[in-house]
Amino acid sequence: MKKIVVEGLKYRYPGAERLALDDVSFEVNAGELIGIIGKNGSGKSTLCYALTGLVPHFFRGAYGGRVLLDGLEVKTSTVAEISRKAGLVFDNPFTQISAAKETVFEEIAFGLENAGVPREEMAERIEWSMKLLGIEGIREKNPFELSGGQMQRVAIAGMLVMKPDILILDEPTSQLDPQGTEEVFQVIRNLAKEGMTILVAEHKVEKLAEYADKLLLLHDGKCAAFDAPKRVFSMENAESYGVELPLAAQIAKELDLRDEAGLYPAAPDELLALLKGRLQGAAGTDERFTE
Amino acid sequence: MKRAVKALNRISVQQLAFSYNGRDMVFENFSAEFSGGPTAIIGQNGAGKTTLVKLIKGLLKPDKGRILINGIPAGSMTVRDLAKTVGLVFQNPNDQIFKPSVLEEVTFGPNIIGFSGEKAERSAKEALEMLGISHLKHENPYDLNLSQRKLVSIASILSMDPDILIFDEPTMGQDYEGREIIKRTIRHLRERGKLVLAILHDMDFVAENFDRAVVLHEGKIIADGHPREVFAREEIVAQAGLELPNAVKLGKRLGLKDIFLTKNELIRYLKERASDR
Amino acid sequence: MNGMGLYEERNTWVHRSDPVTKLFYGITVSAIPYILPYMGVAAFFLCLNILLLVLAKVFKKILPILFLSFFLMLSIVIVHGIFHPDNRTPLFSAGGIHFYREGLSLAALLIIRLLNMICGFGVVVLTTKPDLLVNGLVQTGLSPRIGYVIHSVFRIIPQMAATVNKIKDAQRARGVETEGNLLTRAKALFPLLVPVIMSSLIATKERTMALELRGFGSKGKRTFLKEYEEGRYSRQARWFFLLLLFGSAVWRVLI
Repeated sequence: MKKIVVEGLKYRYPGAERLALDDVSFEVNAGELIGIIGKNGSGKSTLCYALTGLVPHFFRGAYGGRVLLDGLEVKTSTVAEISRKAGLVFDNPFTQISAAKETVFEEIAFGLENAGVPREEMAERIEWSMKLLGIEGIREKNPFELSGGQMQRVAIAGMLVMKPDILILDEPTSQLDPQGTEEVFQVIRNLAKEGMTILVAEHKVEKLAEYADKLLLLHDGKCAAFDAPKRVFSMENAESYGVELPLAAQIAKELDLRDEAGLYPAAPDELLALLKGRLQGAAGTDERFTE
Repeated sequence: MKRAVKALNRISVQQLAFSYNGRDMVFENFSAEFSGGPTAIIGQNGAGKTTLVKLIKGLLKPDKGRILINGIPAGSMTVRDLAKTVGLVFQNPNDQIFKPSVLEEVTFGPNIIGFSGEKAERSAKEALEMLGISHLKHENPYDLNLSQRKLVSIASILSMDPDILIFDEPTMGQDYEGREIIKRTIRHLRERGKLVLAILHDMDFVAENFDRAVVLHEGKIIADGHPREVFAREEIVAQAGLELPNAVKLGKRLGLKDIFLTKNELIRYLKERASDR
Repeated sequence: MNGMGLYEERNTWVHRSDPVTKLFYGITVSAIPYILPYMGVAAFFLCLNILLLVLAKVFKKILPILFLSFFLMLSIVIVHGIFHPDNRTPLFSAGGIHFYREGLSLAALLIIRLLNMICGFGVVVLTTKPDLLVNGLVQTGLSPRIGYVIHSVFRIIPQMAATVNKIKDAQRARGVETEGNLLTRAKALFPLLVPVIMSSLIATKERTMALELRGFGSKGKRTFLKEYEEGRYSRQARWFFLLLLFGSAVWRVLI
C-alpha cells in the first residue's frame, strides 16, 4: 500500500478568495524522501498542514478531495489520531516548545502523556528518540535555553517519540544559522536512512537536490511537477516557477551538459562526471581536475 | 555632482566594551570601521552580531568606548536624529508593523522624522516600487505572508532615506524572487552612496553582493576582508561555524584550485575551459 | 523556570509537602479572616503563616512583596483613620488632623488580613514548583487545558516581556520616542501595542497548532511522566481545611 495518497486535494482558507491548494494529486511510497519546493505563497505550508490534519480541522475552510496516510483518511480522523501516523515540524523552533515542561526530557514526553502511553514505556521511547536526534547530552536543560538548532531537534524528537512513520518538515531551517541548518539536515538524512518517509518543504534546494527521491513543485496551489530532481530541474520552464535550480544544474544548463537521458545533473558529482567527459575531448588530461 | 561632494558615510566603533549582565563581556576593547561598499557581518548565533548592531543604533549603551556615526557620537544623538541617519531593519517584521495598510506603514517612519506630508508619501511610494510591492499598498500587512511582510518592513525603513542602512537577516525565509528584490535594493543603495551593513546567514548572498565580510566569533573579529579572501580561509570559516558559499563548495568538489566566489565566475571559467578545444 | 523567580529549590518539609494540599491551606487561611472578621483570628493566622515561612527558610523572600504593599497599607490607615463614618474617639493628632480609634482599629484589621493573605499565598508560591503544582492539580482532576494555561503563564510572561522589549527597540529604531512625558508615551502606545498583540496572537496560533499535533486535544485518557504522589495525610489535611472553612462559615452565620 502506498504510504501517502493525495487525491484531488482542494482547499480554501476561510475568507480567502483563491484556492490555496488546487486539485493536487500525488502518491508517496514508504521510505521516500520528498522535497516540496515552490515560491512563497505556492501552497507548501498549506500542503504540510493538509497532510497532518491541521487542514481542515484546525483551519476550517473549504476542503475537497482526499488525503490518506497508510489508509487512514485525514478528513475523518482527529489531529491527535493523525499525529500517530505523521509528525509535523515548523520553521519557528520557539513556538513548538510546549512551555509546560522544565527539561528537554519532560518536553519530549508531552506527546506521550497526551496519548495515554503507560509510564513504564515512556522512558524507553524518550531515550530512543533523543538518541536518534543526538540530544541525550541536553536532556536536563531548559528547552528555552537551547540554540535554534537544538530546539528544532527537540521539536523533532517530540514528534518522533509518538512513533509516526511519516515526518513532515515545513521550512525547518529557515530561522537557523548554518550550523543549526546542517544539524537538521543531518537528522533528516539519518532518518531517511532508517527508512522513515519524509517530506520537507524547503528553499535550500542545494541540500535537497542530492538526497531527495522526488521533488514536488507547487505553483499557485497546483502541482506543477512531481518527479526525480533531475527531471524537475531539466524542465523547459523550470525557472518560471520561481525556484532556483541547484548550482550543478545551473552550470550544466549554461554549458549545455546533459546526461544520456538528456537531463541536467542535480548533484556536484554528476556534474563532475559530465565535465570530465566534455573536457576529455580537449587536448590531453586536465591537471586542474584532481578527482 | 552633489553626491560627489557629500562626505563618505562612516561608522567608527572605538574600544567598545559591553555586557548585558555586568559579568559576561560580549565585547572587550572592540574596534572596527565601516565605510564604503556593502559590508556583511557574519558569524554564529551568539557571536555578538545583533548586539553590535543595537549598540550602533543606540538601543544599547556601551559600558566603555564609543561609536561615531559620520563623526558624531551615537550617544549624543536623540532617537529621532539617529533614525534620520541610521536605518535598522529588524529580523522579524511582526515586531514593528502596526498600521492597517502597507502604505500607511511605509509612510509612518518619514512622518516621524519630519518629512513633509507630500515628501513622505513620495518617498514611501518610491520605496514600495523598489521592493516590488506597490500593488500591495492598500493591503493590511497582516493579511500578507511573512516574506511579503518582510519586504514591507524593509520599505518602511527605506522610505526614511537614511544614509546608513543596517539589515538583520534580510533574506531569511525569502524565496528566489524575494532574494532578487533585496539584491537589487542593496545595489540601488550602493549606487546612491549609502552605507549598507547586513547580518547574514546566507553565504551565497554574501558572496554575490558584498564587498566586505566581517566574521565575528565570541565578540571578536576573526576575519575581515573581501569575501573572496575570507572564504579562502577554511579554518576560520569552520571555527566561526559557517558554511562556504555553494559556488566555492562546488569549485572544490570539482577539484579546482582557485576560489570561485559566485556561480557566474564558475560558469565563466568552465565555459572557457570547455571551449579550449 | 522558577515561577518568575519566586520559587527556589530548597529541602524543607514545607517544600516537600503535597502541593495541592498546600493550595488548600493557602486558600483556607486567606479566606477565614474574611469570614470571621476578628482581629484575633487574622493575627493568629498571620503568625502561623510567618512561622511557616520561617521554617521553610523563605521569609526573606516575602519581605520585598510586603514592602510593595506598604503604600497600600499607608493609604488604608489614612483613609480609615481620618474619614471613617464611625469615627468618634480621637486617638492622636498630626499636624491638626485627627486620627480616630474606630477607624484605626478597622484599618489594623484590614492590614493584618492583607498581610495574612500575602503570607498565606507566599507559603504556597514560594515553596512549590509551578509545574509540580499544576501536575498535581491535573492529576487530581483539573482539566489539562486549564492546567496548561496556568502553567504556561509562568513561562510565557517572561517571553512576552522579552518580545515587548524587541518591539520597543524596533519602534525606537524608527524614531518613535518611548521615554518622556505623558503625551510622548501616549503617542508611542499604538506602535507598541499593536505589534505586541499581533505577535502574541500569531505565537499563540502557532503554539496551539504545535500542541494539537502532539495530541493535546485528545479526549482519551492521559498518563503522566511525573507521578503525582499524594502526601500521606493529604486526604485528611484537605478535609480538615475544608471543615475549617465550613465551620467558620457556620460560626459566622450563627453568631
